[in-house]
This record gives sequence, structure tokens and C-alpha cells, in this order.
Amino acid sequence: MSKNMKELPGTPLSGKELKSEKVITFKWRPNAKYAWSAGIAYGRFLDELKAGRIIGRRCSRCERIIVPPRMFCEHCFVATDEWVYVKDTGTINTFSLSYLDADANRIKDPILVAVIDIDGASPGVGILHLLGNVAPDKIDVGMKVKAVWKPPEEREGSVTDILFWEPLED
Amino acid sequence: MSFDKIRDPRKLRHQIGHMECDYVYTAGVAGERFYLALREDGKLLATRCDKCNITYMPPRMYCDKCFAELTNYKEVPLTGIIESYTITYFDMDGEVLPEPLVLAFIKIDQTDGGLIHTVGNIKPESLKIGTKVKALFKDKAKRTGALTDIKCFQPA
Repeated sequence: MSKNMKELPGTPLSGKELKSEKVITFKWRPNAKYAWSAGIAYGRFLDELKAGRIIGRRCSRCERIIVPPRMFCEHCFVATDEWVYVKDTGTINTFSLSYLDADANRIKDPILVAVIDIDGASPGVGILHLLGNVAPDKIDVGMKVKAVWKPPEEREGSVTDILFWEPLED
Repeated sequence: MSFDKIRDPRKLRHQIGHMECDYVYTAGVAGERFYLALREDGKLLATRCDKCNITYMPPRMYCDKCFAELTNYKEVPLTGIIESYTITYFDMDGEVLPEPLVLAFIKIDQTDGGLIHTVGNIKPESLKIGTKVKALFKDKAKRTGALTDIKCFQPA
């Protein structure tokens, strides 16, 4: 408010006054329901995660194996051709140590985030996930890792069915 | 090939959600007086701009033409004429109504405004533009301070 303006024009109403129904109000709750589908490729991918497997799609034109699967190859503009199971091991492509949580609070133990190139998929094809059972200063690009799964009865068909990825012991 | 046409997202793995975007809307200063008069006294109120010779019904706080603040509220008759109408045979969900519903724009007498409302107690085939109608109010106990406090307009 500028210094020449002592009060705002209009008729102010507090939230309390609105709720007390002293004034005439019109209330409405729009019936805005939705069902968001994971699609054919992601749907199968999530179902396979529940079964403890990782699945991808192969494009016969560029020979890539794409994980997570897509029904369409974005390089060749053609439909992908077949389902391919890939391993639950991989290589760290890139990683980050996050000292902020999802609400931007400072945290002491960092969240270890990594892009993991999945073994069996094409180079540079991978998923973003978490690392665990590893000291932050030991993490490096090129490190071999393996998925640590939730117990089968706790899996729900989500990427969180894999708890995290831990270093693969030779 | 895998381009199966799936039109129902629920046939695949899916997420169900409900967007909660509720709202509370106030009637404003002039609207508040209008709805209170409707609920408490069963009256229609209007505001008048003498300079522009316009009577606003429902009442407005400011004149559309000269932007003057309008403070002169006056009661206007509960009668008017059908200026335009439509007969609807379906409800908002597309279901067939048990009886057709007549919706009309009713120009309220002695004003330059009007209301869109239902017309009752009239045979649809005898509807005519220019028919004189009068507001039929609900019992006072059932009024809530909304336009539906008028049950319908019926031939006067």
C-alpha cells in the first residue's frame, strides 16, 4: 500500500466471517475426478516391477533397447517391436548427493540420487533412482550397482518396488 | 503391433484422483441486499441511476454507463413479461426429464433488468413471448438466500 493510501477500498471479509455464514455465499465443489493411465508400455513396466523384473522395448530399426519401455521410438518415429527383459544390475551414469530433502529442508545424511544405465539396455538408457548401502564418498561414475527389491508381498507396481541400488560385489 | 486402441484408462494400470477445487463466492454488496430481501421479505430489489434513467435489477452497486455509485435501493414488482424462453426435455446429465422444463428470461416490470428462471403452471404449447408472469416464492422457512427462493414464475 502506498503512503497516500490509508485503507484499501471495498468491503473486507475475513475467512471467519465467510465461514460463519453471516453473509450470503455460494459454495461449489466441482466434480473434477480423473483416472490417469500409465499407458501400455509403462503399465507393463510397472506390472513387471511388481513381479521383480525390469522390462524394456526393442526398436528393430535403431536396435536400441529402451528402458523404461516406450511403444514408440523417438529416434526413428516408428513403433517399437518387442518386449525384452533386462537385468536388475547396472552402471552409474551420473549421480548427485542431495543435502536438501523434497521440502528443501537441510538434512545431514544426503539423499543419493543416480541415473543408472541398466545392463541389457542400450548405453545411455536408464532410470533415475536412489543409491544405498554405500558411503557417499565412495560413489563414482561407472560404479556397478544392483537393485535391492522390496519383499514381494510389499510391492505395489511402482518404481519404489526397488528400494535402492547398492554396489555390486565382484 | 501394439497400437491397440484403449479408450478407458482404467483398463490399464492407472491412478484415480479427485481435484479438490472448492470455492465460496460472495454475492457482493448489492447482491447481499438483493438476496436478503429475497429471503427475508420475499421482495425484489433494484438500484436506479436517475442520471442515465436505468433501473438495475438485480441491483448493481455502480452504474454501467456513468460509473456513479448507486445507493438508491427500491422495491420493484414481482411481475414481469417473458422476453425469451426455451423448453428443455433433458436434465444437466442428459437424462430425460419426467416433464419438460420451461426456462425463460423474464423482464421485471418497471426495471431495465430481468431474471432467467423457470416458468411453472403453464402448458408449454400456450407459452408466448410477452406473457405476463409473477414470481411464486417458496415458504419462508425453506428459503436460503438464493435465486431458487423463487420457486418459479407463473402466469399472472
